[in-house]
Amino acid sequence: MSKTVLLADDDQLLASLLNFRLKKGGYVVHHSANGKEVKEYLKNSMPDIIVSDIMMPYCSGIELIDYVRNELKSNTPIIIISSAGNEQNVLTAFELGANDFITKPVSPTELLVRIAREVEK
Amino acid sequence: MLIPPNQIKISLITAPEFNLEYLWWLTILFFVLAVIYFIGVFVIRNNINTNNHRTKDKKIEFSPMINEFLFFEDSNSKEEKMNYLNLKVTIRELIKNDFDRNVLTEVLLDLRKDLSGESQSVLIKLYKDLGLHHDAYKKIGSRKWQVVSSGIVELTTMEVDESYGLIIKFINHRQSTIRKQAEIAVVNLREEGIKYFLDNTKFKIAEWQQLKLLDVLRHKPNYTPPQFALWLTSTNTHVVLFSLRLIKYYSQNGAEQSIITLLKHKNRDIQAEAIECIKDFHFVSALTTLKLVYSKASHDIKIAILDAIGELGTIADVPFLENLQLTERHFNIKGKVIGTLNKIDPERIMPTKNISRSDFYKTEPNIDSHYVEDEVISESIIEEPLENIVVVSDEEIIIETVDVTDNGNGIVAAEEELKVAIIEEDCIENLEEQSDNIIDSTTINTEVVTNIDEIDLSFLPHVHHETEWVEKNKIEEEKLELKQHIDEELSIDFLPLVTAEIPIKAPVSTFTQEEFEPLFELDDDYSEHKKVIETAILNDVIPTKEIESIDWSSIIANNNLNTTIEVGDDLNPFDSLEENAVFVANFMPQEELDTMVLLENIAELGDCRELTILHEIANNNTSDLVIERANELITKFSYETPRPSELFSGENALAESVFTDIYNLADQETKLILLNEIKSIGDEKEIHLLESIIKTASEKLVEQATEALEYIKSQLEITEQPETETEERSLFEVDFELELNESIKRRIASNDNGSTLFDQLCSLSNSLYKKKNG
Repeated sequence: MSKTVLLADDDQLLASLLNFRLKKGGYVVHHSANGKEVKEYLKNSMPDIIVSDIMMPYCSGIELIDYVRNELKSNTPIIIISSAGNEQNVLTAFELGANDFITKPVSPTELLVRIAREVEK
Repeated sequence: MLIPPNQIKISLITAPEFNLEYLWWLTILFFVLAVIYFIGVFVIRNNINTNNHRTKDKKIEFSPMINEFLFFEDSNSKEEKMNYLNLKVTIRELIKNDFDRNVLTEVLLDLRKDLSGESQSVLIKLYKDLGLHHDAYKKIGSRKWQVVSSGIVELTTMEVDESYGLIIKFINHRQSTIRKQAEIAVVNLREEGIKYFLDNTKFKIAEWQQLKLLDVLRHKPNYTPPQFALWLTSTNTHVVLFSLRLIKYYSQNGAEQSIITLLKHKNRDIQAEAIECIKDFHFVSALTTLKLVYSKASHDIKIAILDAIGELGTIADVPFLENLQLTERHFNIKGKVIGTLNKIDPERIMPTKNISRSDFYKTEPNIDSHYVEDEVISESIIEEPLENIVVVSDEEIIIETVDVTDNGNGIVAAEEELKVAIIEEDCIENLEEQSDNIIDSTTINTEVVTNIDEIDLSFLPHVHHETEWVEKNKIEEEKLELKQHIDEELSIDFLPLVTAEIPIKAPVSTFTQEEFEPLFELDDDYSEHKKVIETAILNDVIPTKEIESIDWSSIIANNNLNTTIEVGDDLNPFDSLEENAVFVANFMPQEELDTMVLLENIAELGDCRELTILHEIANNNTSDLVIERANELITKFSYETPRPSELFSGENALAESVFTDIYNLADQETKLILLNEIKSIGDEKEIHLLESIIKTASEKLVEQATEALEYIKSQLEITEQPETETEERSLFEVDFELELNESIKRRIASNDNGSTLFDQLCSLSNSLYKKKNG
């Protein structure tokens, strides 16, 4: 059974590209363009892994981690993608329970490997 | 209908008439303009939105195509390959439209920023395959600088290295944005771009631009930097500066001499960067040039040079720094010089500012261990320099000195201080001699050393043994402290001049302690003096031979004491001084002194109520001085002012004189004045007073009183003679007319103070008043 990936990114081009690559990699991908959609989705179903951009409308990637870990009490792996490799963001993300952190530019192949690793854990 | 302006009547008194039609026309005009404006805004906004929507739609349309292109693999199925070929055909059809071309370019540029790795390479390849770079070339040819700039950015982002030849033309463009984009493009597109840029750029390279260029170079894969030392000779100072930074970044230390030469560059930034390079590459050979350049460098450069000397310098550079320490006036630079000195030679210069003296801490009695440590250190300080320090200058040497302690045997401590001072002087001389001997033992030319006193060597820096510099510093500090200490301790201005009244011919050892009566006692200084000097002797700081060679007898003889001191060869001179030396003076015993003080207090403040204690003192004391003073006071306080009835009775002969009361209450000087006045104005009433004075008073008063008495008596004899004549006359022959005789007239005329008794008393009181007020 293929794993489900929740891809949360407001950048349509990159999301589409990653979506394409993940689907090609054998994952079922659900794309959400903002935080509201992500939360709505998570209330109904929990994916095998969450890949989220750190900057999103309505709900940032950091808030999403907090929501998943503290409100939903879920241990679902979360990979954060950020355009700015700000040390504080990285530390905060890991403190709140992010499993991995990738900075842009992203190599889709590399992301696929990381997702696979986290899912297998 | 409009009214011609010349028909409009404007009255200066009434408000001007305004045609309403004209107003309506204006309103309509503005309304129309507003509508046009809003329509224009609406249309433009709609167009922008439409374009955005179209672009967005196009992007969504292009996105799966691009995804297919990016992630196409040869291993794909035939269907996928067929799909890929169809997409290629479709996209080529699409890009025939300019809008679509622009959207596709935009998509590829966006994705280029977000993707890395193989996807990025495929993306760039796709861009070139689709021939989108030709649009960028067209942009470069545009007249608008922003279009040119965007074209250069596009070509740079998509790494179209074929555009290199086109872009290099813009590196000296007058428009700074184009120029800067061209610089980055040239450096980015080809490896040799940086060389071309450094060779040809004529403009300033801003700091931010330098950082961006360095970032470009840093991220270039497999980049082999050229030898940037080649551009150190550039006429563009910014190129030289950037080259120095690149040299430092890529650690190209092959241009040592060029970098050292740049220390003499007129540009401060280049100087500073060269110093940084020298420091990083540890070019020790640059030290000479650094020192050479220092004198004419700016403050910042001076500090940078000092920092470099601190990194590279050795002990050989210490004289240069010491010279700077003396000559530099700028606070920061002087601080840096000291810091550099300490960096080369750690703790060469110890902190001196705002440091409390050791005395400050000696008030705490319980810290014995601290005392012991201090003593040990000071002793070691005294020991060390004699062996190791080469004293070149004629600097004063002050040895560890002394605190004078209690002289229990009654020896005057001040004399001991004097002796200690003399000993110290001798010791200093010995130390100097010894230092000279040490110099002899070093490698310094003997002739130079022997002539060293004759040559003014003040310009030379102090030369110290390399390993002993810390001790030398401590010694110098100790010297200063000790000098102050000696000045304080041995100041003997307060001492009385001690002279010998009793010549002592017998050996000193025969004197007993009771024979010496110390006038005062000093603190425990003498024993401390002795202790410290003994410690010094034990530690061979003051060689025993040197102390033995001191002529102690002559020292004491100089004080005119006429004492015989036996100083044997084996005898410690201090012991002999302590036990045998006698300093004789007729000092008043403490008890007697106290009594005298008491008597003086009674004399000043007391009255007849103190007679009892005065009698007691006079009876119990054996001292003549005390007894005499007590009797004086008894006499003074025994006098009781007679009552008026007694004053005028015939029994009280003394009471006849108006001077009696004043005389008995007056002091010696006042009494003399009174006697003088009595002589001038006195009559037979003062005879009894004068006679009593002659009987009891001191020699001087007696003399004055006798003179006054004789004078009064002689005056009385003169006046008595005519009286005898008048007695013989009959009562009726008496001349009732008041007439003063000639002698009285003469006296009155000669006397400035007046003729009557009242006048005389007034003048007396005036003279007393004058005397009192000095």
